[in-house]
Amino acid sequence: VQEDNRPRPAFDFKAYMLGKAAAVNEALDVAVSLRPPLRIHEAMRYSLLAGGKRVRPILCIAACELVGGALPMAMPSACAVEMIHTMSLIHDDLPCMDNDDLRRGKPTNHKVFGEDVAVLAGDALLAFAFEHIAADTKGVTPARIVRAIGELARSIGAEGLVAGQVVDISSEGISAVGLKELEFIHLHKTAALLEASVVLGAIMGGGSDAEVEKLRIFARSIGLLFQVVDDILDVTMSSQELGKTAGKDLVADKVTYPKLLGIEKSREFAAELLQEACSQLVGFDPEKAAPLVALAKYIANRQN
Amino acid sequence: TQTKSALFDLKTYWTTLIGEINHKLEDAIAVQYPEQIYEAMKYSVLAKGAKRAPPVMCVASCELLGGSRIAAFPTACALEMVHAASLIHDDLPCMDDDPSRRGQPSNHTVYGVDMAILAGDALFPLGFRHIVSHTPSDLVPGPRILRVIAEIARAVGSTGMAAGQFLDLEGGPDAFEFAQEKKFGEMAECSAVCGGLIAGAEDEEIQRLRRYGRAVGVLYQVVDDILEETTKESGSSEDEKDEEKRGKSYVQVYGVEKAREVAEELRAKAKGELDGFEKYGDSVIPLYSFVDYAADRGFSVGGEASS
Repeated sequence: VQEDNRPRPAFDFKAYMLGKAAAVNEALDVAVSLRPPLRIHEAMRYSLLAGGKRVRPILCIAACELVGGALPMAMPSACAVEMIHTMSLIHDDLPCMDNDDLRRGKPTNHKVFGEDVAVLAGDALLAFAFEHIAADTKGVTPARIVRAIGELARSIGAEGLVAGQVVDISSEGISAVGLKELEFIHLHKTAALLEASVVLGAIMGGGSDAEVEKLRIFARSIGLLFQVVDDILDVTMSSQELGKTAGKDLVADKVTYPKLLGIEKSREFAAELLQEACSQLVGFDPEKAAPLVALAKYIANRQN
Repeated sequence: TQTKSALFDLKTYWTTLIGEINHKLEDAIAVQYPEQIYEAMKYSVLAKGAKRAPPVMCVASCELLGGSRIAAFPTACALEMVHAASLIHDDLPCMDDDPSRRGQPSNHTVYGVDMAILAGDALFPLGFRHIVSHTPSDLVPGPRILRVIAEIARAVGSTGMAAGQFLDLEGGPDAFEFAQEKKFGEMAECSAVCGGLIAGAEDEEIQRLRRYGRAVGVLYQVVDDILEETTKESGSSEDEKDEEKRGKSYVQVYGVEKAREVAEELRAKAKGELDGFEKYGDSVIPLYSFVDYAADRGFSVGGEASS
């Protein structure tokens, strides 16, 4: 990636991430409070508050602030995308799906609470994501909130997240899976929710249609980038470093970018995607765009 | 009202609405790549013989308050989608482990457990999306749509139907009535409330619809339990196994006599709530007739005898 030489305002990425993550964690803790029936809410909170870097909520907030919105406008949406992300992980880890025992370094939800509660906790998080946006978004016109809900619903359903999971499941063990299917899986399974995160933030923040569409392309690029990097890390890192089972893609005979392109070409592809993402941010105020630029670079360069 | 209610032809009203709703549901799920997930979704949403009680309740409540049927249809369809999603997940082997639903194999029996989970996961958002993309904005302002979405999400969520399913699985003596209310009252309550919200009902009217819907939903289930108990063939081992799996019914917990008393109380309660809508004249009649239908089952609807 080319670095430009213009003087840039100092941006402390680490402090930014920690600050926003803390705000998101607090908001999630309040939103999904412990109430009866306790066990199902414990299960929801177990996975939702298990840590994680909160990349999706922070993207949502950063996009909102980029187009001139204030943090509270985006916070319910930011929490909602994390609830959806958590729900998809809980259901993905189930024995009938990926059958994972470990997630973010901890036993998976169904290992602790049982499969029945894990299914229900996921469903409840999914539903609550929509309730939270619809009922708790402040300072945004109803028309924008309705539009954002439509975006979220589209991105996680059979045309989005679920489509990616379906193709992923049905391509497992099939060696003839090509680059096109692989891209379909990742654009839907990973990029769709990242896209929704950014687009919801931009809509809630009052962004123009042109701004929303630019940020959509930005998000799609970093979504794919996220997965390419994930694939590379799965080959190059240990389980301990990743906090989840490494080499699982190889064992499961899953098609990955390194398998299709080789490690080097995969790294080149990642660099292209980062370039494409950052180019979408060019017209914006560089100071306000700094968090998204840094997030894109972080996704490209992360080690776990 | 008693006579008017008797003269009102609920069966025709209901059957006509079922036709319209089925048609809209068919249009709402267009099969595309990857086809199998859409097939799985359609299989449960378009199951033959479905009574479409939630959508019909929603439309009737909307019309009661002078709202347009056209305004209510997208939400009515969404109720059916999220209801189907809940039922698909309730039937899973790790939950109620039901191999059949509405007289045909349950979703996971046909499509596998993984697809069944994903079909449910996709139907919830499809419901919300359907409301957003199909509700005519000139008839239903944004704030009402947001209240409808929040209401449906609450009803299926961790303090609504998911809570009911959880307590049903967990069992325990105190959980029974709560689980029943949540599993069977919540959807009817939500359907009546959504219809009211779309029509722009006052808060007091919404509360009335809420209590009415819940009473009708639970009444329906109690009467189902009574009918099952009084008509079942004795000694069939399959029936016994079924019952064990499905958990307890009102009749098993309280006996037939007490269940009949509960049903009468619920019928009176539901009708009592409707008395508060007197000023709307005859438009309240369909809602009265639902109560009598839930209690008496004077005819069969949707092409089969039970849900």
